[in-house]
Amino acid sequence: MARNPAVLEVTSVHRKFGGLQALSDVSFAVEQQEVVGLIGPNGAGKSTLFEVISGNIPPSSGAIAFHGDDVTRMAAFRRRRSGLCRTFQKIRLFGALTVAQNVAVAAQQCVVDGNWRDEVASALAKLRLTAQADRYPSEITLPDRKKVEIARAIVGRCRVLMLDECLSGLTRDEADEVVQEILGLNRQGLTIIVVEHVMPVVMAMAQRLVVLQHGCVIADGPPKEVAANPVVIEAYLGARHRPAP
Amino acid sequence: MAGTIDSGAPVPAGLPGRAEFRQLGYGVALVALVACLPLLPFANSYLIGIVVRALIFIALGQAWNVIAGIGGQLSLGHGVFFGLGAYGTGLLFNDFGITPWVGAWLAAALAGAVAVVIGAITFRLRGIYFALATVVISLAFEKLARFYFALTGGDTGLAVNFRGTAPAVMQWREPEAFLWISLAVVLAFYAVTRWLLRGNFGLALQAVRDDEEAATSAGVNVYRTKLLALLLSAAMTALAGTLHLQFYLSIDPGTAFGLSQAIQIQLPALIGGLGTAGGPIIGGAIMILLSEGTNVASSRLGLDGVDVLAYGIVLLLIVLKAPVGILGYIKSKRLQRSGRAAPAGGGD
Ligand SMILES: Nc1ncnc2c1ncn2[C@@H]1O[C@H](COP(=O)(O)OP(=O)(O)OP(=O)(O)O)[C@@H](O)[C@H]1O
Ligand SMILES: [Mg+2]
Repeated sequence: MARNPAVLEVTSVHRKFGGLQALSDVSFAVEQQEVVGLIGPNGAGKSTLFEVISGNIPPSSGAIAFHGDDVTRMAAFRRRRSGLCRTFQKIRLFGALTVAQNVAVAAQQCVVDGNWRDEVASALAKLRLTAQADRYPSEITLPDRKKVEIARAIVGRCRVLMLDECLSGLTRDEADEVVQEILGLNRQGLTIIVVEHVMPVVMAMAQRLVVLQHGCVIADGPPKEVAANPVVIEAYLGARHRPAP
Repeated sequence: MAGTIDSGAPVPAGLPGRAEFRQLGYGVALVALVACLPLLPFANSYLIGIVVRALIFIALGQAWNVIAGIGGQLSLGHGVFFGLGAYGTGLLFNDFGITPWVGAWLAAALAGAVAVVIGAITFRLRGIYFALATVVISLAFEKLARFYFALTGGDTGLAVNFRGTAPAVMQWREPEAFLWISLAVVLAFYAVTRWLLRGNFGLALQAVRDDEEAATSAGVNVYRTKLLALLLSAAMTALAGTLHLQFYLSIDPGTAFGLSQAIQIQLPALIGGLGTAGGPIIGGAIMILLSEGTNVASSRLGLDGVDVLAYGIVLLLIVLKAPVGILGYIKSKRLQRSGRAAPAGGGD
């Protein structure tokens, strides 16, 4: 298999919160159309890594390259416009706007060619949200809200999609449906990084796993290899003995 | 318009088109009534004057609603922009002979420039700094207006050189013309608000209000969006300030930049419905009715402080019964009846 060029390259990223080292020398690369699973125990730094890559918080040091360009200092809204997209672990929809308007906000900013209205309609259709278009977030089900987050993230130019636990809180059937939709997007060319706690789902989706613990990458490779890695097993067993957050 | 996508889905229950037509009917009737008020047999200058005061008050509420209600940026010192509009227009006329028809726009541009400076400094920081900055700058302008009395008339304030009825310089002895001008301003501001609630820029602004980080992640330039909204709000406030000046023919530092003025500006939207198009109109009308009613009560019955008491009671009722304002309250009741949960705010 020929190696594709890296779409996203994270180099020696550190991030401190006061005395807490949330990310410590994190480096990894993601290739075109890859599905990478980013896993690790609670508090490992997965969401913080998404924050840093998307530009919502700056790294203490290190660099992020997107399509070969250094975007470490680029404003977060510009990264989104150029195709670096993310969802939030805790759903963050615009409560006063309808489903269609939530997606339209992103479409107006991020559709480069073509009509943004068409893009909104097609993003809603892709995630089977068309019937909910004129409803408010408070009026739709949890799986639908998660799908609105995804629709808002993929509308317009989207090359890398970072999904932060977009399956948690869903029943198995609901999760399966969302997974199918995500894999469909991937087949259309989207590069995807998923943070997920449900291991079987990650194993089924991801072509590669990156494991974080205490802000450090402790493993990076094919799912089967990583699952058999004693360091990873130890990290998870260790985590199980810690009190739940 | 811009935000609704034709999805082929049926219009959800609770927002029937017929109700909108009925609202439009009421609106047109109300506008016609106000516009034709001088023709009615019982109308006199006193009554028309009250309506003009109400309309100016409503216009100020609409202007504040743009940044605070739709943009979610709490300005506690909007008197700055009101005062710049009033003083700016007055000084340009008295000292340079520039007609208020032109001066209004120059003063609005000045207010917009000050707004951009305030916003540029504070909008990258947490929201509280913006709120504090508006208060501090209000107080600073009040001091300046008192200190430079050669220019501003100091504590006694600035009196517009009155030429009698002179439409070319926006002056009339009778209040009818002000009735029509301020009605036109309120209608224009209403149109601006409706556009913001539905149009592209307004959707981005509401997204910023609802969740700044999520808006950023949707590609919205949060900083620029807030700055433009403040610019718009400040210019609108200054235009209402011009109206105030021309109607009363004078302005003083306390009325212009004082904090009680700033609080007054906030009341119509807070009472009527923050972030809605109709809220400031309903809230402003209620406030004027209250203030007239309590004026009568305190002068005829000798009950001092009735006005403060009445304001207090109304505010308390709003906070307890309808924290989203009267319109928000009505809307959530209507949605409840049709089995829908209320959205988290906003609306028409
Ligand atoms: N804004 C912040 N300020 C201070 N500490 C933070 C902040 N954000 C995250 N942290 C801390 O950084 C560490 C990593 O948090 P992060 O949310 O990235 O973990 P995670 O891997 O996403 O965990 P989870 O699986 O629970 O979502 C945690 O200890 C967390 O408490
Ligand atoms: Mg997380």
